[in-house]
Amino acid sequence: MPQSFPLDSFRSGMRSSLAVTLGYFPVGIAFGIAAARAGFSVFEAGFLSAIIYAGSSQFLVVALLGSGAPLVVTALSILATNLRHVLYAPAILEKARDRAATRYAWGWSGGLSDGVFGAAIVALNKSREHFSERFMFGLGLGPYLSWLFGTIAGALFSGAVSGYPVVDAALGFLMPALFLAMLLAMVSRRTLGVVAVTILAAIPLTLFVSTTVGIVGGMVAGALSGLVDWRRLGK
Amino acid sequence: MNTDLLITALIVGIGTWLMRFLPTRIDTSAITPDGPVSRFLDATGPAAIAALCVASFLPMMEADWSALTMLAAGVAGTFLGFRLRRDISLACVCGAAAYGLAYWLV
Repeated sequence: MPQSFPLDSFRSGMRSSLAVTLGYFPVGIAFGIAAARAGFSVFEAGFLSAIIYAGSSQFLVVALLGSGAPLVVTALSILATNLRHVLYAPAILEKARDRAATRYAWGWSGGLSDGVFGAAIVALNKSREHFSERFMFGLGLGPYLSWLFGTIAGALFSGAVSGYPVVDAALGFLMPALFLAMLLAMVSRRTLGVVAVTILAAIPLTLFVSTTVGIVGGMVAGALSGLVDWRRLGK
Repeated sequence: MNTDLLITALIVGIGTWLMRFLPTRIDTSAITPDGPVSRFLDATGPAAIAALCVASFLPMMEADWSALTMLAAGVAGTFLGFRLRRDISLACVCGAAAYGLAYWLV
C-alpha cells in the first residue's frame, strides 16, 4: 500500500502496529472478562491494564491474588515471566544503528510489549529509516489503548461475548495469527536457522517445563544461534 | 481499591517498565557491527517472534479432528491473507475469519 507520510513519522508507527492494535482488543476483552469473573471491579481491571500492560502477567496477577499467595512472591514470580523484555529495547536500538535515539525512551520503552516489539522489528527489517522516537511512540499508542479499552469493555460486558461463540472463537485466533504473520514477514534465508533453532528449543521446553521457560529458553537459544555462521557451516 | 492489588500492580508495573526502559541506557555505540553482541541482538527479534508463535500455537494443538481442522483453517487463512498483500493486519483478519468459519462449520 502506498504510504503518503514519512517512514519515521508517528502515523507510520501507528500504521506499522495496526495488526497488534487489532489483536490486542479481543485479548484485552478476555482479560477484562477473567478479571470481572475473579471479582475485580471495572476500575481495578482497567487499573491493572493501565499500570502493568503485559498480558500474561496480568492473568497471573488475577490468578495469584485470588489464591492468597504472599504478595512479594506473587510480584516476583510475575516479574520473572517478563524477563524477556530486557532484550527488546537493545535489539531495536541495534537494528536502528546510527538512527538510534533514546532521549524519550522513558516514554516509548514502556510500550514495548511482545506484539509492539515484533512490529518494530518487522518495520526495521524493511528499512531502518523507520526508526525515530516519534515512530516508536506511534507504534506503541494504538496497542496500549486497544489493550486498555478492551479490558474495560470485557469487564463491563463480561456476560455478553459468551453469547456469540463463533465471534469469540474467531477473536481468540487473532493473537496466534498475529505472531504467525509476523513470523512470515521475518523469515528469510538469513533468519531461517535462528527460527528453526528457536522452534526446536521452544517446543520441548513449553511441553515439558512451562510456557514461560519455553518462550525465554527458545528465544535465548535462537538468539545464541545467531552467533553461528550458517552459510559457512553449509559449505 | 484492594490494597494488595494496588501494591502488586505497582510493583509489577514499575518492575516491567524498568525491564523495558533500563536497557535503553546501555551504550550500544561500542558494539561492533557483525560482532557477537550485534549478531546476538540481531537474532533476538526473529527468535522472540518464533518463540511467541510456538507459545500461542502449542495449546491449540489437541488430538481432536475438529480442533485441528479449525487450526488448519486459521493457519491457511493467515498464509493466504499474507500472500495477498504481505500485510500483517490483513493476514490476521483472514486467519481469524477462516478460524471462525471453520468453528461454525464443524
